[in-house]
Amino acid sequence: MVNSNANALGIIFPNSYDKTMPEMTNDRLMASIPFASRYRLIDFILSSMVNGGIDNVTIMVKENYWSLIDHLGSGREWDLARKNGGLNIVPPFAMRNQKVYGGRIEALVNILAFLKKQKEEYVIISDANIAVNFDFADMIQKHIESGADVTLAYANLEGPKTLPDTIESGRDMYYLVDLDVDGRVTDIKINRELSPGPHDLSMNIYIMRRDRMIELVHDAYVDGGIYFERDVLLRNIKDLHIQGYKFSGYFAVIYGMKTYYDESMRLLKNDNLDALFEGNTIYTKIRDDNPTRYIGDPKVVNTMAADGCVIEGEVENSILFRGVKIAKGAKVKNAILMQDTVVGENTEVRYVITDKNVKIGRDQKISGSQEYPFYVPKGKEV
Amino acid sequence: MAKEMVAMLLAGGQGSRLYALTQNLAKPAVPFGGKYRIIDFPISNCVNSGIDTVGVLTQYQPLVLNEYIGNGQPWDLDRLNGGIHVLPPYQKAKGSDWYKGTANAIYQNISFIERYDPQYVIILSGDQICKQDYSDFLRFHKEKNAEFSVAVMEVPWEEAGRFGLMVTDDNDKITEFQEKPKEPKSNLASMGIYIFNWDILRTYLEEDEADPESENDFGNNIIPNLLRDGRDMYAYHFKGYWKDVGTISSLWEANMEVLDPENSGIDLYDDEWKIYSRNPGMTGHRIGTEAKVENSMITDGCRVNGTVKHSILFAGVTIEAGAVVEDAVIMGGSAVRAGAVVSHCIIAENVEIGPGAIVGAMPSADEAGVATIGSGVTIGARAKIGPSAMVDTDVKEGEEKW
Repeated sequence: MVNSNANALGIIFPNSYDKTMPEMTNDRLMASIPFASRYRLIDFILSSMVNGGIDNVTIMVKENYWSLIDHLGSGREWDLARKNGGLNIVPPFAMRNQKVYGGRIEALVNILAFLKKQKEEYVIISDANIAVNFDFADMIQKHIESGADVTLAYANLEGPKTLPDTIESGRDMYYLVDLDVDGRVTDIKINRELSPGPHDLSMNIYIMRRDRMIELVHDAYVDGGIYFERDVLLRNIKDLHIQGYKFSGYFAVIYGMKTYYDESMRLLKNDNLDALFEGNTIYTKIRDDNPTRYIGDPKVVNTMAADGCVIEGEVENSILFRGVKIAKGAKVKNAILMQDTVVGENTEVRYVITDKNVKIGRDQKISGSQEYPFYVPKGKEV
Repeated sequence: MAKEMVAMLLAGGQGSRLYALTQNLAKPAVPFGGKYRIIDFPISNCVNSGIDTVGVLTQYQPLVLNEYIGNGQPWDLDRLNGGIHVLPPYQKAKGSDWYKGTANAIYQNISFIERYDPQYVIILSGDQICKQDYSDFLRFHKEKNAEFSVAVMEVPWEEAGRFGLMVTDDNDKITEFQEKPKEPKSNLASMGIYIFNWDILRTYLEEDEADPESENDFGNNIIPNLLRDGRDMYAYHFKGYWKDVGTISSLWEANMEVLDPENSGIDLYDDEWKIYSRNPGMTGHRIGTEAKVENSMITDGCRVNGTVKHSILFAGVTIEAGAVVEDAVIMGGSAVRAGAVVSHCIIAENVEIGPGAIVGAMPSADEAGVATIGSGVTIGARAKIGPSAMVDTDVKEGEEKW
């Protein structure tokens, strides 16, 4: 067979880190959180896989996944509506005496039979709380060259300052990696308190041979393992060759409202926006909105806006998603307004995140602060 | 499965009066209204009207159009049964022919229509901006028990002589057809949109083909023949926005009208009647810290840091700080560099307007032309392009072109 595509399949965990953003994941999951004016978080890793030649992608949904299924549809917008491979959404499997899985090992055990039948030689697994234009083709190449059992993508960045208290320790947070001179991972430290400044943190993107992964997951499960990093990687750190793959491009990891707000605002610098989008196209669901209309002289500065907006009021340092309406006399500053938000006449909005379909009436004043942006939940009328 | 009505969309027009804009693409592929191409309008009308089988007849410069239409997915026309099909002239066992005229283009594709065994065929034009519900037109056609219907617009009497006119009785039955007459007897102008009973259309296409004298044209040949035979022909009154964008000034004007939907009647902000288009997949647009935007339409991928007044920017347009853009239509991927002044003009795709260049001018008492820059052209720094100029080759730094 002509190998025009990557010899790897992708597995994405869209619910990872849900609990760090309880506000926004009340009726959705991390992967379908809107980001960067017209995307959902999953668009980034999914498009990166497609752009890297991966055309067999499995999404292991766990809970609150209706919005994601609606967003992904048949996968057509990512060119994943295929006869062979394509997009494969796996809902959780639970029975009366068996609860829905907790960690990724339990999740992967459920699809071992599926994995055994696939023909790709490698498997890539990733979370979806990361906005990145990732070069998977290069990572696959490096993995093959190194001869490693597992390649782990990491980046040198500032770690989270505090652990959100909703997180049980030992899972779903961050993994500090120690590397030797050859870039081999010698230790993985879970949720370690970090000194200020950048550290080598895992991006939770891994690649390994499919048959090897089946074996590792099976063995870990039999030993009562739950979490991939702890029970596969860390437990076997001496025997496995885990190679680090340093990613030095632009990316935004989202955990908690504050990082969501800060990472969104960081894109208002053109250099950052270019760094994230200048590579391959990031695909998303198309809404067929008309272009955005500026009526009168609305004084808009330093703003990113998607299509379908109608802007009559002032907007500064803000991100407007598709179909946002800003009435005359309204003042919007340092805000993130998601799809179809309406801001009424003479209403002032500062340091605010509105979810989808929020309607704010006239003559209102809503403000949060840079540290605590005020969040208005989906569909709320103020 | 038989289809009730199949649409045949005439998209072979060269659009010679749009010259610089149609050097490399057919008129229906000319960009319009910020994120559309002209052909998005009739195709979207078809889908919104419930028509799922569309033949697109191409001839002149079809590459852009072919690629744009692709499998029809943006219009939801990638169907198992029906869907959208591009129909260029092709070689047959007994020779091959270019499409000799509008009627001949349909004649050469009789076998395409036959595959769907339709009762009705609607003939559409690929160079008009119009939101029209063809299902209402079909309702009229059936109510009148017509064999042929034509959509007509009332035009001012003093302009009637420029159009093909339908003279009708009180029941909208057509009694006479006048092509661009000196003395109009009617002000009902044909929009070039026809519904035929398929058996009638087929009969007249075959007769027309057999006539060596014929120009194989609907207006000049088929309609007069139908009248000659006393067929049941009716005129359907269309009252919405309609514009034939065959000239630079009408294309510019129609774009400007999009900016003023409250008064012009062309409303693209209509969730009930969306116009679909192929999406370029760019991020939301950016308005910079030094930007000033008034009464304009801006779409994905634009970077605006200059002044934009009463203009339409297509996907991926860059307006640098200090540049001033007014009453302009700037198509996808073009850039206006710092300090350039661009007014009252159409700039095609991927044009580079150098720093400090001046393109076009706001209309004055003796000059109201719409300057036009063809696609891919570079206008050098501080060059000057006059208000009626049509530029399709690069202009060097500091040069003037009128």
